[in-house]
Amino acid sequence: MLNVRLFDLTTLLFGAASVNYVAALYGKKDTLARVGTWLCVIAAVVSTAAIGVRWAESYKMGIGRIPVTNLYESLVFFAWALNFFYLFVEWKYRNRAFGAFVMPIAFLTMLFAFTNDSSIQPLVPALQSYWLHAHVITCFVGYAAFAVSAGVAVMYLLKARQEEAKTDAGVVRLFPSSKALDDLVYKAIIWGFPFLTAGIITGAAWANYAWGTYWSWDPKETWSLIVWLVYAAFLHARITRGWHGKRAAILSIAGFLATIMCYLGVNLVLSGLHSYGGS
Amino acid sequence: MADDKRDTSTMDKVWNFFTSLKLAITVLIIMAVASIFGTIIEQNQPIEKYRQVYEDWAYHLLDRLNMFDMYHSWWFLLLLVLFTINLACCTLDRLPRVLKVVRNPKTTLDENLEKTLGQVDRWKKKGSLDAWADKYAEAMGKTIGKPRVTKNGDAVHLYAEKGVVSRFGVYVTHTSIIIIFIGAIVGNVLGFKGFVNILEGQSIRQVSTPRGDRSIDLDFAVRCNKFTLTYYTDEHGHQTQQPKEYASDLSVLENGREVLRKKIVVNDPLQYKGIWFYQSSYGQAGAASAKVAIREPGGALVTGLSLFAGQPVEIPGYGRITGTDYQPNYQGLGPALLVTLEKAGQPPSQLWLLESRPDFDRQRKDRYYLSFGGLSQAFYTGLQVAKDPGVNVVWVGCTLMVIGLLIAFFMSHQRLWVRLSPSADGRVDVVLAGSASKNRLAFEKKFEKIQSDMKAVAI
Ligand code: HEM
Repeated sequence: MLNVRLFDLTTLLFGAASVNYVAALYGKKDTLARVGTWLCVIAAVVSTAAIGVRWAESYKMGIGRIPVTNLYESLVFFAWALNFFYLFVEWKYRNRAFGAFVMPIAFLTMLFAFTNDSSIQPLVPALQSYWLHAHVITCFVGYAAFAVSAGVAVMYLLKARQEEAKTDAGVVRLFPSSKALDDLVYKAIIWGFPFLTAGIITGAAWANYAWGTYWSWDPKETWSLIVWLVYAAFLHARITRGWHGKRAAILSIAGFLATIMCYLGVNLVLSGLHSYGGS
Repeated sequence: MADDKRDTSTMDKVWNFFTSLKLAITVLIIMAVASIFGTIIEQNQPIEKYRQVYEDWAYHLLDRLNMFDMYHSWWFLLLLVLFTINLACCTLDRLPRVLKVVRNPKTTLDENLEKTLGQVDRWKKKGSLDAWADKYAEAMGKTIGKPRVTKNGDAVHLYAEKGVVSRFGVYVTHTSIIIIFIGAIVGNVLGFKGFVNILEGQSIRQVSTPRGDRSIDLDFAVRCNKFTLTYYTDEHGHQTQQPKEYASDLSVLENGREVLRKKIVVNDPLQYKGIWFYQSSYGQAGAASAKVAIREPGGALVTGLSLFAGQPVEIPGYGRITGTDYQPNYQGLGPALLVTLEKAGQPPSQLWLLESRPDFDRQRKDRYYLSFGGLSQAFYTGLQVAKDPGVNVVWVGCTLMVIGLLIAFFMSHQRLWVRLSPSADGRVDVVLAGSASKNRLAFEKKFEKIQSDMKAVAI
């Protein structure tokens, strides 16, 4: 179907952009990075079109719905949101070094989506709820913000180590100052945290409408709570003496690892009520 | 900050412990790690299942630590209590200070304050001090807000602020957590969870607890009028095997009278007197039967039968019929029933009856003809039942949490001071200072703009 072809094209664009950004960092060639930016912009257009086309195609099949209801759709939606977040950060901070740390996440996500069933299936009764749409959209916008934050946190750790050692060599030199990076880690999280919170709440509301319990400690719910707790710890670490800086950056990376576990690991490793991936 | 070493009396030490952010971070991380264990070790399974998975010693150790029902264990509860005390103490410790700052802002810019502020600028102007004070007050009114004016000796101080609420965002969020906990406790103490299966056409007045060990009386009855399962159709209009909707047509009865009727589906429950009924499962009650009508050639109905597979039924004065086979799509003609007809003194004969052509059997030109009216299957519907008087409290808490987060993260308390004092050379000394509680970078830009605007003002 056309939407899948467009998503495949998006995958290629993300891959090419990632290669350009990484090469630009190592070769210290800004032209390569500029090409990376253009590839991301094109990918933004193509992937947005793909989501629209998929939406329209689902209506043509008589099962019309927002394309955020299975693993494939959630993965491409995540990559879509991540790309937009990334472009915003690049534009706002006028620094293309971030691309090498963020765009590979989008690329890997699309590669993983590629290995999943991309057909449009009708919704089983449990998924026929407006809460589902609100739930998936808020969660994945939050996840995308956390991905940006984790990529920048890695840059922060590299940069902070270099600043401590007072050396000024290699690609790390091109990064923004550690203070700016620290600020960006935080900024991404203050976007992600309210979205994740809203995601957990809409999920709870949905569960309450579907089976009368807003919280049942199933593994997916519990992992979303773990992610939330780690980022709450991050927010407080940042305002505590002795905990800001490196430890906060590590918490941000831990938070993103927990996010990946929540998103994919639970379905692949643990069992639960959520049916993504299992079916 | 709470970790300042001020006084070291025991009470203070305890207070400092409970108001410390380090405790908060530690408890948050411990809860996260504990929850991970709770997802690795499956919760609330039958004992035999754990016995299969774990060695003896591991089973006993985990059992001792309540790891099989971790989220309800005493130690997890203790963690939640510690977390709540920590949160409450932190708030009690800081909120009064914040309130004081908000109620009695520092409206005069003295030298000590000046040193602590990020943005400070100074210049001189010729003219009357009061006239400049008026001009600058007007300029501040346009950007931050109408300033308060304080006369202090020769000097005039102007103070304006914006976004004071942002100071409370954190406390709204923290309080919301406690509100959610209260809602959860209310729900646990005053509510219940249950389930019930209702046969089509029957009604119930009791539901079972989730473990099935107790039953709960309702003060009304619920009847299932009908359960229907529909499937998606493919592009040719044929039915697929993918369920589209599970629906139960329910009636609420008070003293045998229907007071409410609703068709519920998954994600659209029925509510009566605070008790909610959710579509959750279904099942077949007994075997399917075939509806067969016996008619005279003219069409008059003699009798209607329900045929169960393999069970013969006697038709007085005619013979014996048995349902032998059923096909959902017989030779492309749709559902059909095969019956065996035995008449006295004749060998048994077999007839296919088509649901789509009820008069089909008339062609036998016999005394009666048979017509097939479809299969009939009795279902029961499985409902989750819940009463949770705390749930709305939880939603209030959740809403406040999101609002609090948005205020805490995206609003900023911006303050601006101007001090005008007579200079030794007869001119007016002007000092402009500002600060913002959040997003300082953006405020820096704003401050620069205010500063150049003010400098450009002429009398
Ligand atoms: C998971 C639960 C919690 C959440 C979601 C939460 C949320 C927040 C948020 C969003 C902030 C603002 C951070 C910022 O602006 O960067 C904050 C600040 C703060 N939190 Fe929490 N918090 C939680 C638990 C706690 C606990 C248990 C304590 C107890 C000590 C606590 C004490 C504080 C303090 C003292 C501040 C700083 C307030 C200030 O800036 O003056 N929090 N919290």
